[in-house]
Amino acid sequence: MNGSLVRHMIAKDFRLHRELIIISTVVGFIGLAVVQFRGLTGLFGIIGFFTTLIVLACILPQASVVMDRKGQHLTFLMSLPISATQYTTAKMLSALGMFLIPWLTLVIGALSIILGSDIPDGLIPIALVLITLPLVGFCLMTSVALVGESEGWTVGVMIAINFAYSLCWPLIARNNELRSGFGSSTPVWSPTILTLLGSEFAVIAAALAITYYLQSRKRDFV
Amino acid sequence: MMDPVIRMEGVRKKYRYFALDNIALELQPGQIMGLIGPNGAGKSTTIRILMGLVHQDQGDVRVLGYRMPAEQIAAKWEIGFASEDMRLYGAMTVRWHMDFIRSIYPRWDEKYAQLLLKRFGLNPEQRIKGLSHGQRVKSTLLLVLARCPRLLVLDEPTTGLDPVARHEILRELSAVMKDEGRSILFSSHNTHDVEQISDQITFIDRGRIIDSMDKEAYLDRWRRLRLEVPLGVELPALPGIIDIRQDGRLAVATANEFVPDLANAYENTGARIQSIENMTLEEIFVANVEHSREEVGA
Amino acid sequence: MLVISQSDKRPIYLQIMEQIKRRIAVGDWAEGHPLPSIRQLAVDLQVSVITVKRAYLELEREGVIITQQGKGSRVTATAGIGLKLQHEELQKHLEQVARLSMLLGVKPRELESRLREVSDNITAKEKS
Repeated sequence: MNGSLVRHMIAKDFRLHRELIIISTVVGFIGLAVVQFRGLTGLFGIIGFFTTLIVLACILPQASVVMDRKGQHLTFLMSLPISATQYTTAKMLSALGMFLIPWLTLVIGALSIILGSDIPDGLIPIALVLITLPLVGFCLMTSVALVGESEGWTVGVMIAINFAYSLCWPLIARNNELRSGFGSSTPVWSPTILTLLGSEFAVIAAALAITYYLQSRKRDFV
Repeated sequence: MMDPVIRMEGVRKKYRYFALDNIALELQPGQIMGLIGPNGAGKSTTIRILMGLVHQDQGDVRVLGYRMPAEQIAAKWEIGFASEDMRLYGAMTVRWHMDFIRSIYPRWDEKYAQLLLKRFGLNPEQRIKGLSHGQRVKSTLLLVLARCPRLLVLDEPTTGLDPVARHEILRELSAVMKDEGRSILFSSHNTHDVEQISDQITFIDRGRIIDSMDKEAYLDRWRRLRLEVPLGVELPALPGIIDIRQDGRLAVATANEFVPDLANAYENTGARIQSIENMTLEEIFVANVEHSREEVGA
Repeated sequence: MLVISQSDKRPIYLQIMEQIKRRIAVGDWAEGHPLPSIRQLAVDLQVSVITVKRAYLELEREGVIITQQGKGSRVTATAGIGLKLQHEELQKHLEQVARLSMLLGVKPRELESRLREVSDNITAKEKS
């Protein structure tokens, strides 16, 4: 397996998009830092923090995957000693890697804030569920960008996912079982929470697997 | 006889509005093949199938001995591919691209790369998006040339370039041929370039190969005969003649399989030969395409 | 240095042959002088190898050069090859003159006297 070439491709993507990663991490951090304040400021912090992740989840697949085709870089990349499957691997790994940097940083930051401050630790499970949502959206959009080969598909999925995000908040707010855990000082890992987390990761795994399968079957890759 | 560097046999590919039909061609090591044909003829598709970027529906493709597209990774280590619709990363510099390629290919020749920078008039610190079209094309070619690959596959390397840039590129392509172990396949509209540096010419139109052969032998088959015909006589179309235009007493016959006997045959009909002219590849191109379309009943 | 002219309508291999013959005729390349390898000349002129190969083949057929397996080509070591080529050149021009005269209806005797006149004029100019 062309390990070193795939590594080169991943390193190249990191180099190309490093500004985007740095900026989104910094902005997310600012949002996090502000969360600790009460009232409206705290709310802005939360919204800002989530918005950063959601926006990054939309922009990164556009910048990294869609641009390869639109910017006509795909032919250049496929002239290298690489197969379509290896290209897909490189793209998925680099995209995930680039998203995970700000994401993990913000997850750890958020957890530290909740644990360290007087915000009830009971919020941790639901916070994890909510923070993982942009990750799911990101994987879906990267998959669609790779398989769909056009901007149209990614934009369509983007709209669908954002719609789903907006539905989540009221749904969670209306679920009594979940709400009961919010105020407690220890995290409550209810079956609902575990199911939610499990489904999120199942969707991610399914998206990746299906993408690999479909990409390997393409006969007109470029 | 060494193994051919490229061999395509019975290659077919169907799209909604276009199809490649029974493509067959062969390139021997140490030679340059020029692929010419009108827009939409199938040059780019043929080249992409060659590179394994597009899978053929039928047919056998072997490049440097590797089956395509199955063994494309191994093949691409030794092939330098550049196509007219390829773009480098606009935000990065020429030097960044050179370093990227150099980190991948062991045979990168940095001294030659520096020489090419000078010959092509390129500033390595410049970003791609700030380059003119010609400079961008030359940058892409530099990346491919400095690796010294065994086979160069170039899709329209000189299209849209000014005469100086074209000359610079042709000079480098010719220099590659100094090594008889290296070969080039390039497609072009520019019949003059193809005529000058190709050893083999392959003509493609509407998804079919019309001709594929040795350039000198090919040019030798074509002649334009200018004749003076006695009043009232219509010039017959003899075998080897594909076109006759007659206006009053003057006629021009285009031969695609010329033999000296043809001239004698016409004189026997009472016509007088004013001149027998060689044709440029451009003139042959047009005559060939028109003729083949008539034959197919276009 | 050989130079291919783009405006010259004749096939490139003929141009190459003519220029090589001219070099021999003026004495730049003496009898036995080695010719550049086919590939080297192709690279220098930026023409296809097959074209140079053809030029060399035709030159060998005409007895102007000799090719040895593995050793390349050289000008024939025939005494006076340069002079021979110059005479061939003259013959070609004479044939052209003759054809043109026929076309214009100039009779041989008139042609002779006109040629003498031209020759005398040139000699006179060179003396002064």
